[in-house]
Amino acid sequence: MKSTKVSNLVLDILKFTILILGAIITMMPFVWMILSSLKTSSEITAIPPTFFPKDPQWSNYQEAWSRAPFLRYFVNTVIVAVGSTFGVLITTVLSAFAFSRLNFPGKKLIFSLLMATLMIPGEMLVITNYITVYNMKLEIGETRIMGIDSYGALIIPWIASVFYIYLLTQFFMQVPDAIYLAAKVDKCSDWKFMWKIMLPMNKQAVVTIGILNFISSWNAFMWPLLVTNDPNMRVLSNGLTQFQSEAGSDYQLIMAASCILVMPIIIIYLFLRKYIIEGVTRSGLKG
Amino acid sequence: MKKKIVATLLTAVMAASALAGCAQKVDPNADTAASKEATEETTQDATKEEAKTDETAAPEEKTIESCEIEFWHGMSNKQEEVLTQLTDEFNSSNEYGITVTLVNQGSYGDLSQKLQAAAAADGLPDMAQAYNNWLNPYIDKVVDLSDFVATDFDNYDDIIEAYRNECSEFGFVHALPFNKSTYVMFYNKTVLDELGLEAPKTWEDLTTIGEAYVEKYGNAAWGVDDLAGFVEASLRQNGEGYVDATGALFNTDGGLETMTYIMDLYNNGLARLVGEDKYFSNVLSAQAMLGYIGSSTGASYITADGWELGVCPVPSNKESAAYCAGTNLVMFTQDSNKQLAAWEYMKWLTSAEATVTWAVGTGYLPVRTSAYESAEYQEFMASDVTATAAYEQSDAFFTSLASYDASNDVRTAVAAKMEELILDETEPQDALDALVEEINAQF
Amino acid sequence: MEKKSMKGWLYLLPALIIITVFTLYPLIRAFSMSIMLDYDMIHNTFTGYGLENYQKVLSDKSFHKALGNTTIYAVVVVPCSIILSLLIAAMINGTKKTKGLFQTIYFLPYVTSVIAIGIVWSWIYNSRYGLLNSIISFFGFDPIEWLNKPKYALPALIIFAVWKSMAFNIMVFLAGLQTIPKEIYDAAKVDSTPRWRVFLRITVPGIAPMIVYSYIMGIISAFKVYNEVYSLYGGKAGPADSAITVVYYIWKKFYQSFKYGEAAAAAVILFFIILAFTMVQKLVRKFLSR
Repeated sequence: MKSTKVSNLVLDILKFTILILGAIITMMPFVWMILSSLKTSSEITAIPPTFFPKDPQWSNYQEAWSRAPFLRYFVNTVIVAVGSTFGVLITTVLSAFAFSRLNFPGKKLIFSLLMATLMIPGEMLVITNYITVYNMKLEIGETRIMGIDSYGALIIPWIASVFYIYLLTQFFMQVPDAIYLAAKVDKCSDWKFMWKIMLPMNKQAVVTIGILNFISSWNAFMWPLLVTNDPNMRVLSNGLTQFQSEAGSDYQLIMAASCILVMPIIIIYLFLRKYIIEGVTRSGLKG
Repeated sequence: MKKKIVATLLTAVMAASALAGCAQKVDPNADTAASKEATEETTQDATKEEAKTDETAAPEEKTIESCEIEFWHGMSNKQEEVLTQLTDEFNSSNEYGITVTLVNQGSYGDLSQKLQAAAAADGLPDMAQAYNNWLNPYIDKVVDLSDFVATDFDNYDDIIEAYRNECSEFGFVHALPFNKSTYVMFYNKTVLDELGLEAPKTWEDLTTIGEAYVEKYGNAAWGVDDLAGFVEASLRQNGEGYVDATGALFNTDGGLETMTYIMDLYNNGLARLVGEDKYFSNVLSAQAMLGYIGSSTGASYITADGWELGVCPVPSNKESAAYCAGTNLVMFTQDSNKQLAAWEYMKWLTSAEATVTWAVGTGYLPVRTSAYESAEYQEFMASDVTATAAYEQSDAFFTSLASYDASNDVRTAVAAKMEELILDETEPQDALDALVEEINAQF
Repeated sequence: MEKKSMKGWLYLLPALIIITVFTLYPLIRAFSMSIMLDYDMIHNTFTGYGLENYQKVLSDKSFHKALGNTTIYAVVVVPCSIILSLLIAAMINGTKKTKGLFQTIYFLPYVTSVIAIGIVWSWIYNSRYGLLNSIISFFGFDPIEWLNKPKYALPALIIFAVWKSMAFNIMVFLAGLQTIPKEIYDAAKVDSTPRWRVFLRITVPGIAPMIVYSYIMGIISAFKVYNEVYSLYGGKAGPADSAITVVYYIWKKFYQSFKYGEAAAAAVILFFIILAFTMVQKLVRKFLSR
């Protein structure tokens, strides 16, 4: 008994050592990114390298910020990320519920077909989608709903994802059939069952999908550039291209802009993390 | 009225002869069938213009209705600032109420992809910056400017000849030159002085100076940012052709000589690849090399901290040849009123006044001979070593032929193949064979 | 499950509309492009139908290289990432107070844009001032020219990719671990079962669906690798194209050579390769569960 205790202690120490080492490796590129954003351009490529900037250049941030309308970009990024995440969650929950609980003709076929779409690289689809969006111009009054330079173009193509449908279906399938049957006995409709039981039981998975989608929308780069011409419709990641040219790059500014790009999402994540853990404990109650 | 027609005719004839002249001057390719054809075509085209202008005879007063012109560009930072300033000036001062809207489309790569997508969707902007090799798939959507140049342009011959050649290589005037740069040699003058040596002028100089540097400092002395451009320039410096629509043209003794020069530089450790450092401006700034050949616009990325930067024309051999890079202005709008409006703007950007402002503000080169000679630019050059070096080699400017389908592929294939050959320390003859084979495989 | 009805389709409708317009339609177009000869996307013209595009791609040395690289990449990155992530996730799950902290840290690589972090990694790999070589030389080994030598191009890419992909896997595994009832672990504790056994007998089977999910998604995205290459090598595919991948090849054919048909053919070939990989996995799973 004693020996297991000792070996448990050794294992704990080992565990933490590995976790901490891993954490350092994971964080290093970020630390390096932040430190580089405060260096001068010559310090960045200096040999031998300096770890901490000799004289922190906070003005890098000022300069990066002034190169593009970042505030406007920020607002757009939030609108697009929130909009597409909202859409994704709705379509994903509905589809995952259909695939996991409902029986309908052609279910297997459509599921395989959707899975197959994952296997083609998105780079192949871009120009066709551009043409589609270009021709879909739709204006209501003065506001453009769809077409080039519209929020619709930035959001709508991304409000359904096979990737997340598959993920959530896996989670929904794990909910025992007994619960579903019990609900049926209680005359609970499918619609109600989905919102009142399935969703809360898989809250964490849903939040996870929300976060994953939010992040990929946040970092999306190529599509937003393609479907916008108006700088007022661009997003944060488009700001990164302001610092590169064919003859050289202002690395310190790219790093500063990257920090500007990443920080909000880290803060959002830190904030939401509490919610996730709460969601986990609550869903743990179901037993 | 009569006077005007005569004048128009005269300009048209001049333009025609100028065009024919240029086409012949695309020297290494002059005796190939393809370029002869092109020459004939240009001449014919120009003659047609002549006839056309005669018929439509420019009206007394030009009327352009007020309109908005969308211009897609890939300029950022200082360059974008100056472009905005020039555009604002045009918008507020033109008499027709034309408003040009600048649209920043990111890097060149982004811009070219976006233009391609827009061409497929039939949604090209009114105007854009573009390299010739981007345009191959949709050159039919580019507006033929021959007419405009012939009837409504201030002294087309004033535009640098190499640029005129580039802008008419598809057989008609498809563009006006805009943000042009050339490859020059940037070097560490302090170190060169320490070695007691002068800036390199010839291929031999590169070798001897390089050896002296390597012996003293241990690092490779030289580098080139664009291997494909360097190979082409070196071939031309040796009086050889490069590539045309039929394939590689340098499987010759002169070609072997050139490859020997290049491969020896690398195989003997005098030159290195840029590799992980991405741009040689970083390496030179860190004083880890003696000098490199790169775009004249790269000067702003070199930090001369504790050493003095020197700039000289690219070292040459039998002939001098200096590679020109940079995009041109092309017009896509099919609306005749917008074409007139966009042309007004293009004329402004290429005017002597604007090109000088542009060059002084950005480090790009003026597109007109008269602009080089202007007092303002002369004054600028006196204080700018890069501009001086660029000007010194301006007689040797050339642009790479890009009007054949495989031109894009050839560019990247040559760069990748050269890298491979250098990494493998290939013997010159084998390198020549491999490179020629690789190029011909692209057709 | 209840009897078949059309209700399921109604639930699927919103997702289906979007997927049909923005994924299926372009997909079908890509398939048809691949059998059109001399297809010109800009003018929407072609000269006939045939399999020449496939012939050209399949006999292209550069495509062979890309396919080889991509396969090695997928076969190494996916298992490495899954095993490491599983261990880390289990360890994090076993901590109490520090759980949230570790969770946040290990998730960081997923948060940031690949463009920026690729630049940072290219500094880490730098042979003269990079962090990795400092560590290597600390242990007395010679520095490695990670990004300069073709033979290291793929390993460098793989290390970067494992680092980048672990975040997602850890996240999914941690989510999965929550679904394993605590009681099972408590029971194991009472029996003082060794931890590695708990890990193999409870943890791994408990999150098997997540492992399968990560594997499939990992293989699919590994075969589609592009951004990692682009950002690590600053817009190139490594020294002398030594780290070219299939999607990079497709991208090149499409945007640089304007050979739309060949690009589509390469994409279709890639599609069947990924399909084969996931099918094999399915068969293996069926065989094992029997």
